[in-house]
Amino acid sequence: MTERNLRLCPNGRVICGITLLLSLILSPGLAGAVDVIANKNVSVNSISLASARAIFGMRQVKWPDGTPIRVFVLPDNHVLHGAVCKERLNIFPYQLRQSWDRLVYSGMAQAPSEAMSEEELLNKVAVTPGAIGYVRKVKANDPVKILNVE
Amino acid sequence: MLNKWGLCVFLWAAFLSLPANAQELAEGIQAHGFLSQSVVRTTDNNVGGNSDDELAWDLRELGVNLSWRPNPDWLISGQALARWAGDTDEGELRLDYGFVDRALYNRGEAQIGVRLGKVKNPYGFFNTTRDVAQTRPSIIMPQSIYLDQVRNFFLAAPGISLYGNADSDQGALSWQVSSIQPEVDDVDLEYMTFLRDLPGKFAGRNSWLGQVMLDRDGGRWRMGVSLGEMNMRYQPGRSPPLDLLGGTHRLPTWVLSVQHNSEDWTYTAEYAQTQVIARDYGATFEDNTIESGYLQATRRFANSWQGYLRYDVLYLDRNDRDGIRFASSLPGAPAHSRFAKDWVVGVRRDMDRLALSAEVHRVDGTAWLARVDNPAAGLVRNWDMLLLQAAWRF
Repeated sequence: MTERNLRLCPNGRVICGITLLLSLILSPGLAGAVDVIANKNVSVNSISLASARAIFGMRQVKWPDGTPIRVFVLPDNHVLHGAVCKERLNIFPYQLRQSWDRLVYSGMAQAPSEAMSEEELLNKVAVTPGAIGYVRKVKANDPVKILNVE
Repeated sequence: MLNKWGLCVFLWAAFLSLPANAQELAEGIQAHGFLSQSVVRTTDNNVGGNSDDELAWDLRELGVNLSWRPNPDWLISGQALARWAGDTDEGELRLDYGFVDRALYNRGEAQIGVRLGKVKNPYGFFNTTRDVAQTRPSIIMPQSIYLDQVRNFFLAAPGISLYGNADSDQGALSWQVSSIQPEVDDVDLEYMTFLRDLPGKFAGRNSWLGQVMLDRDGGRWRMGVSLGEMNMRYQPGRSPPLDLLGGTHRLPTWVLSVQHNSEDWTYTAEYAQTQVIARDYGATFEDNTIESGYLQATRRFANSWQGYLRYDVLYLDRNDRDGIRFASSLPGAPAHSRFAKDWVVGVRRDMDRLALSAEVHRVDGTAWLARVDNPAAGLVRNWDMLLLQAAWRF
């Protein structure tokens, strides 16, 4: 048994390495390319994956301190929207759309607010209390905070 | 009745005059809506008007909703709907849903709440938004599970619902249980249960419906169970022999729903059984079980194109699937009116808020055709259908 494991291990590492290499080649510029941001008055600095999905899925509507959450997103076909879904939320963009539509057209929740550009989204998150959104990369003097999704 | 064309033109104009981001009317207040128009042509039988060898234009949906969230624990929502479907639905404007939602527990990723008013009934994957074209898996719903003839009965009803959501890193669980008084003032339902339009009418009785839905791994797997018992009473309009005596119908029902989602593919399967138990009519109705299910594969292509293939089966009596026993006991009633096997292939293209679709059906059986549009004598067992649809939402 031990011997078999020993023999399998190096192979496993090679496969692992190839997969990693392939994923780096196949997704240029995507990994780490999007930051989840929040208004500066939001009282938390990190949220769980479950919470991020619940927030962007419009099910969780308030922060732990009771402040209403305002969700800002880019249009469905925006490259950054695809990136935040896949990279941060681990969900396909079409599924997020389906789940919003199910809630919005049965009256069970409200839709996120849509910004037309990354710049508009950043500005809205900066001026709206309780706001959450995402941008390509937060710059040092941007008037928002980064939320770690763990 | 409202002038359907006038209403249609008015709402079209209202939609088109809205700026692109008019969904947000004020702090916490949103408006959304949808609109669709389909064209149908069939080789035989009628769907959405007179479609038999001609183009029928009578499939149309129009809805507008408003919601107000004054604070995170309260939500007030309502939607107006007008729908046209042949002679079964003629564009009468109605309240689709309207309720107050109060969160009782609302902390982090978990919520429990109560909804009071007219609430949409979760039943299978698609029931709550079945009139919104973009949310459907095809132009017309899989009739096995989402039978249009009993649509109003199952769609939404006044009552009270308790619901909950819980998200964890592994998945999301949501559930709703409703105690409702179903709305059953539909001629379709009388054709479905009595095979004709009788002088009296149905009234809803206390019923309940519940659903549990589990989304695993960000929705890669979705699994649900819907369960309930729908009840109604028939109130005769005349004395026998012109009418039946009053009686009750109980419909215990369940649906199993499974879906797998990947980047390019979605596979969906649903299976349902509904018992039909009639009592006290002064005539004997044999209890029966409706059995139905479908399998659909949807493939997403580049540029927001998608294609789908579905096989959909409905048996109105699972102990008489070919309808032969039914036909031999009722002279003039075709056996093929007790089943329908429907192959569907379709394409759809989404362009922002607009979706264009086309689909072709090859159907063996006539069980789900609306009797108001299709007298039994004219039913043809094997028929094909082409549907085109344009749908818009905001």
